[in-house]
Amino acid sequence: MSQRPSYAVGTGLFIVLGFAALGYLATQTTSVVNTSRGPTYTVDAHFANIGQLKVRAPVKVAGVRVGQVQSITLDPGKETADVKLAIDQRYDKIPDDTVATIFTSGLLGDQYVGLQYGSSQKTLAEGGTLALTRPAQQLEEMLGKFFGAGGAADNLAGSYTVKARFTNIGALSAGAPVKMAGVAIGSVQSVRADPVKLDAEVTLSIDKKFNQIPDDSAAAVFTSGLIGTQYVAIQPGGSPDMLKEGDELVLTQSALQIEDLIGKFLVNGSPSDKKPADGDAKH
Amino acid sequence: MSLSMTRDNIVLRSLEQIGNCGLFLLRMLAAVPRSLRHYRETIRQLWFVGAMSLIIIMVCGLFVGMVLGLQLYDVLSIFGGTSATGTVVAIAIYRELGPVVTALLFAGRAGTSVTAEIGLMRATDQIAAMEMMAVDPIAYVAVPRFLAGVIAMPLLSCVFCALGIFGGHLVGVNWLGIDNGTFWSNMTATVEVGKDVINGVLWKSFVFGIVVSLIAVFQGYTTPPTSEGVAYATTRTVVASSIAILALDFVLTAFLM
Repeated sequence: MSQRPSYAVGTGLFIVLGFAALGYLATQTTSVVNTSRGPTYTVDAHFANIGQLKVRAPVKVAGVRVGQVQSITLDPGKETADVKLAIDQRYDKIPDDTVATIFTSGLLGDQYVGLQYGSSQKTLAEGGTLALTRPAQQLEEMLGKFFGAGGAADNLAGSYTVKARFTNIGALSAGAPVKMAGVAIGSVQSVRADPVKLDAEVTLSIDKKFNQIPDDSAAAVFTSGLIGTQYVAIQPGGSPDMLKEGDELVLTQSALQIEDLIGKFLVNGSPSDKKPADGDAKH
Repeated sequence: MSLSMTRDNIVLRSLEQIGNCGLFLLRMLAAVPRSLRHYRETIRQLWFVGAMSLIIIMVCGLFVGMVLGLQLYDVLSIFGGTSATGTVVAIAIYRELGPVVTALLFAGRAGTSVTAEIGLMRATDQIAAMEMMAVDPIAYVAVPRFLAGVIAMPLLSCVFCALGIFGGHLVGVNWLGIDNGTFWSNMTATVEVGKDVINGVLWKSFVFGIVVSLIAVFQGYTTPPTSEGVAYATTRTVVASSIAILALDFVLTAFLM
């Protein structure tokens, strides 16, 4: 005992400290508890598209975790994914007309299955199937809807060009889509500043298929979403004459700058704030 | 002609070196059961390479975490995403910086001293004396230092990571004003035990521990018995360990991801 080397205590301390650090890393900074405990019962749900859903992804009701995805399989010969949900036994009173939807946490987060209870009196039995499902929204599809690129604009069978003049085109650049009713019908061919009229002359290249656009249509520079790219929107008019090669769109609406918009909010805000004060003064 | 000869020699010599190193590892592994009798020596070495490295590892971990917190806060505030600082600090430290920086520090702090110690034993004929006294120098000198390094590396790596997280928290929450709850909840929601702590910290640092200890012990054991030889061996330990750590880090990441 008296021969105990002095370094042994220090070494023991070092080892204990190392394991304490490991325990700290493993329990305090990670999600160990994210696995379901206790008895579960499973229900099936068939989805047309599961997106990025993974096994062990959470199943939530009203945003609260009630279980997890047990397995994801594709039945041979079918085009729907068979997703088995392991739900905590406590939450077994699920109406049989419940809708299962694949949601994404936040904009770019992981996907999970959200259950929205129906109004049916009958509850779903063990191994039952959720008939009502909504597939995952693919980000690509949503972006496609915003930007509207692709399809029509890419396979130009031939196009004709029209001009439009804007006092401000914002961040519009050559190649940006031209849309009508939200669908891409062409692209911006060139953007140049007019040295005489001091405005921007934009040349639009529109697919020949869309040659029935009235010549009093209006062109506007819009932004896709809040921070998206800008595009030219064509708002059809009522004239019986159609746009032809080389025509000019007379009615235009320039790009709204986000600074202007915010300015408008701020300026609009202040008078309404003052109104009650004016009213008080009149009384 | 002479150029091709020297190139030949370099290739042959490095192949020979790698081969000898592998054989040395096998000899050490074979000697592990015999060295269990000298467990006190292993503990003494664990004290020397592990516990004595603790201060430098802790200080460096703290500063690495702090600078990560500072840089990430600066960049993430462009996107209004400063609440992700904790997550990114934790993931960067667990997956890469923790094991790699610990291994580099370990090679510099403990590897060199092991090489120099064994090299001097060789140069002053202590190893020959052991052989004469029928004490297996591999079991008594090499294996305890090797085992100590393999055991100490993952533990040091964990300490480094814990201090790194603490440093990131110190800068992010206490100085720059990220919300404490957001910092931790974002971190715990993203970091996974299996992928980040076990694969990232433990496996990597275990492999690094084997490689760094092997290189250090091997270089010391095979050094030419001169003072110049010991100096070269010490340098080679640091150079070879650093290259091996960084190259292996890539390979391990590719495998463990």
